[in-house]
Amino acid sequence: MNLRPGSALWLLHHELRMFWYTLMFSKESKAQRVFNWRMGSVFTVLWLLLHLGAWFVVQHIGKGGEAPQQLVILASAVLVATFLFMLSSALKSSVEVLFDRGDMDLLLSSPLPSRSIFTVRLGAVVAGVAAIYLFFLAPLAHAGALLGHPRWLALYPVLLGMAALAASAAMLLTLALVRWLGARRTRVVAQVLGALAGALLFILSQLPNLAMQGDGDRSAVLMRIMGSGAGIAADSAIWLPGRAALGDPLAAALLGLAALAAFAATVALTHRAFARGLQLAAGVSGLAGSAKRPPGAVRLRFEQNLTTAVIRKEWRLILRDPQLISQVLLQLLYLLPILFVVFRKGDAHTAAVGTGLTLLCGSLGSAMAWIVLLAEDAPDLLESSPANPRTVRQAKLAAAIGPVLALVCLPLLWLTWRAPVNGALAAFTVCGVTLGAALIVVWTGKPGQRGTFTRRAQRNGVGAIFEIGHLLGWGALAFLLPYTAAQAAPGIGLLAGVAAAASLAFGMPLLAWIFRRRSA
Amino acid sequence: MKMEAPSLLVTGLRKQFARPAVDGLDLNVARGELYALLGPNGAGKTTTLRMVAGLLAPDAGRIAVNGVDLALDPAGAKRSMAYLPDDPMLYGKLKPTEYLEFVAGLWGVDAASAEPRARHLLDWLDLTKHAHELTEGFSRGMKQKLALAGALIHEPQLLILDEPLTGLDAGASRQVKDLLLSHVAGGGTVILTTHILEVAERLAQRIGIIQHGRLIAEGTLDELRAATAAETLEDMFLQLTGQA
Repeated sequence: MNLRPGSALWLLHHELRMFWYTLMFSKESKAQRVFNWRMGSVFTVLWLLLHLGAWFVVQHIGKGGEAPQQLVILASAVLVATFLFMLSSALKSSVEVLFDRGDMDLLLSSPLPSRSIFTVRLGAVVAGVAAIYLFFLAPLAHAGALLGHPRWLALYPVLLGMAALAASAAMLLTLALVRWLGARRTRVVAQVLGALAGALLFILSQLPNLAMQGDGDRSAVLMRIMGSGAGIAADSAIWLPGRAALGDPLAAALLGLAALAAFAATVALTHRAFARGLQLAAGVSGLAGSAKRPPGAVRLRFEQNLTTAVIRKEWRLILRDPQLISQVLLQLLYLLPILFVVFRKGDAHTAAVGTGLTLLCGSLGSAMAWIVLLAEDAPDLLESSPANPRTVRQAKLAAAIGPVLALVCLPLLWLTWRAPVNGALAAFTVCGVTLGAALIVVWTGKPGQRGTFTRRAQRNGVGAIFEIGHLLGWGALAFLLPYTAAQAAPGIGLLAGVAAAASLAFGMPLLAWIFRRRSA
Repeated sequence: MKMEAPSLLVTGLRKQFARPAVDGLDLNVARGELYALLGPNGAGKTTTLRMVAGLLAPDAGRIAVNGVDLALDPAGAKRSMAYLPDDPMLYGKLKPTEYLEFVAGLWGVDAASAEPRARHLLDWLDLTKHAHELTEGFSRGMKQKLALAGALIHEPQLLILDEPLTGLDAGASRQVKDLLLSHVAGGGTVILTTHILEVAERLAQRIGIIQHGRLIAEGTLDELRAATAAETLEDMFLQLTGQA
């Protein structure tokens, strides 16, 4: 391809080539490269199979004609949900573009115009956000076109347009945050906002539940809302995206044009702000922490044994990393819907609370174990010291598990006070899942830097499968055990469920130990 | 008997990656000596030091630190030694005082001796005024000095440094060199690698030159001069490594 050096297209070509090399020719190891190729093949086959499924779907529902208003409203609701998820991903990607430097210093020090750099980076955010939706939905468009229903092709401008709108909004918001809050705070705040955007959908989905104080029928409420169009006229522009998604060519074209305009306006108006934001972000790591004590008043505390020294060091490192804390605690946000369900009408469901706490501890335990045990900043210092590696590992395990158990201590006490048996069972599942999650990470996790916390599962597919299976096993146990305990004669189905859950809960750590990394 | 053992005794050390990195290396560094290990890039210097520090297992050979076999008693061997790589092993979110407390905890140093030593090191290396700042904001020189303070907090007999002066300004470089000389004057041993040949020329009592994982020359500056008929260490080095 003969592209003009320095142009946006030239840079895009370079970025795509680098993306391909990183994806398929990683330097990690030969085994990793083989794994990447295999995964690539699996996804290609899966994508082709999706076409087969799409063929049948389109054959049944792909006939032309104008879509009824209720379907337009439903499609609009689905698009709102999709947009919230896209916005969440786009905010995360915008932060990465600004803060994960990569080759940014090289690009910025070159005579490349900042507009080209920004266009390509924003385009990459759009592509990244749209990719997963296109993967699953593009087969519908292809099947529709092949079966003589070209309106299905509207999925392309709709999905890419929404991704462009989400990416533009996310980038504008991130740059505005950099300007208002400074680069250091932006990183944390943008990530929190991204997670909130994702969680907002769950909270919105519970609004009908919250609105109903009596024993109202939820589906009836939804049907009423859909029937009335929430009081908005059928020909309102509000329903344009919904119509576009259902194949209205004019609506799809308008949505695509609006997205293109938003993208172009974002690039034109903020490419200089982007360059400034990058410079500010680059300065973040070089900033010194403020001195809170006057010079000279040096206080030293050497009276500690090895275990105390390790635990104190680990907790200090975590407490002083707000970005890491926000990433870990954002996992809790997705448990909010459980609380909505559980505490609806003030009728707390103790088994569900135990399950929620168990899932929470499993997730947090795994995250903390990875941070403390595998994201060690100075592994050579520990290894070159005479400290007993087993003592260090045990101290780190305690540093990882301690805060998780401390966090759920009060809810567990409350649960035990309300329902002693359920409380005791929840304490068992909470301890089991936390320890198991930490051990799976110790045995199968791949060491990395704290900055790669959110991408840790991508680098360790097998470990992630063990973690998910283990979490589901303990979650199911936490839900089933109280019911089993409450039955005088539990049915065979219930007992089989408990046995299946227990085998997952205890089997996954066992498998993790069998397939453990030998260096662990 | 143990008192007479050399600080570092390495015999027949081998390590192979894609190609042999260290290939039958022998070293004998006496107590109270400042020994410079020189060699071109990829000669095996860092691999050797990492094996001595217990960070890399050798394929063959024996390492003894102050008479303690590293393979048989790793904790015992490491207790009297400190290793400082070219990239300082620090924690960005810890303050210098906390870093020293942690390192002292790793080496099991008692508070009575650690505290005055920490104050002395912080003062000497000009770090006291930065004692309450996070190290992530430190310059390269400050990081290197703090790592050196951490290496010295447990008063090691043997100090191993990989390129300790890289990236330091003149002032920091002088402080580090003074500290190394003071360590040797107090009976300690220093083994360092450096690409700055003037440093080795001025500081080292003995110099070893390594190439392709083998020791190709060793001796005092005068001994090397006599063997090569070259005047400066740079000329000797280039002649011995075939780069002249």
